[in-house]
Amino acid sequence: MWFEDVVVGTRTDLGTYTFTAGEIIRFAAKYDPQAFHLSVKGGEDSVFGGLIASGWHTVSVWMKLVVARRAEFEDSGGMRAGVSPGFENLRWVRPVYAGMTLRYSMQTIAKVELKSRPEFGLVKSLNEARDAKDGALVMQFTGKGFMPRKPNPSAGSG
Amino acid sequence: MNAPTHFEDFFVGQKLAFGHYEVTKEEIIAFAREFDPQPHHLDEEAGKRSILGGLAASGWHVCSMAMRMCVDGLFAKAQARGGAGVEDCRWLKPVKPGDVLRMEVEILSLRAHPRRPVGFVQMRWDIFNQRELVCSIVTTPLFARRGA
Repeated sequence: MWFEDVVVGTRTDLGTYTFTAGEIIRFAAKYDPQAFHLSVKGGEDSVFGGLIASGWHTVSVWMKLVVARRAEFEDSGGMRAGVSPGFENLRWVRPVYAGMTLRYSMQTIAKVELKSRPEFGLVKSLNEARDAKDGALVMQFTGKGFMPRKPNPSAGSG
Repeated sequence: MNAPTHFEDFFVGQKLAFGHYEVTKEEIIAFAREFDPQPHHLDEEAGKRSILGGLAASGWHVCSMAMRMCVDGLFAKAQARGGAGVEDCRWLKPVKPGDVLRMEVEILSLRAHPRRPVGFVQMRWDIFNQRELVCSIVTTPLFARRGA
């Protein structure tokens, strides 16, 4: 799949993911050891009123679902995983409590040609996680990914 | 100077420095297996064939390691109240096995919450390895207001 094959506006449902207390605590113990991520008691005693997932955990699961489904994107006009220069406007809108199920999605919103890297194009995507129960927005960010350009046959050696 | 603990302890232009995170091949691969199993995060040879030039940590792993340094160096000693989001994150250079990461933090802006006894502290995290800046993040955690 090439940069040229990406269709702006393509929306991909990435499926759902349930955050268990055990997983929330395991991630937090390694990368985000704050009391409200480390134990049910610590969460209950905090302003959040319960154990919540690290925001970095919530967004890492988006990546997990994108990579898990990359084969399906090859023909869909969506965007597959790859190398990225970064992201923008990540908003942790609502806490993710233990036991919550989130539905993730990705929508391509722009294609940018790169003068500095003519062999790649940059694809921007609007990515979301919503509470699977009521559809409320939980997390949102604008992702950026490099996609290889289709080789130009007229520029080849043939 | 005492380390900042509450919203009132921060000021625009304030600089903090902390962190020492040794990046291992095992941890790069373990994180990638769980969250970002692309070949260039799992395998040295595949990394060499990519524009990363060798096995490199997932960008989400780099953010997570930065978060750990920030929790240990700032948040755990302060009245931190979670995060509103990340305005910008730039993965500037690949993070590879053997890298030792550290952080330089600058406070960019301050805003009291209109209703709750907390404030938004916007800050830039510059993450360096032994040689250069590898990642730059602008993020806005919340801190409790003093006396609230």
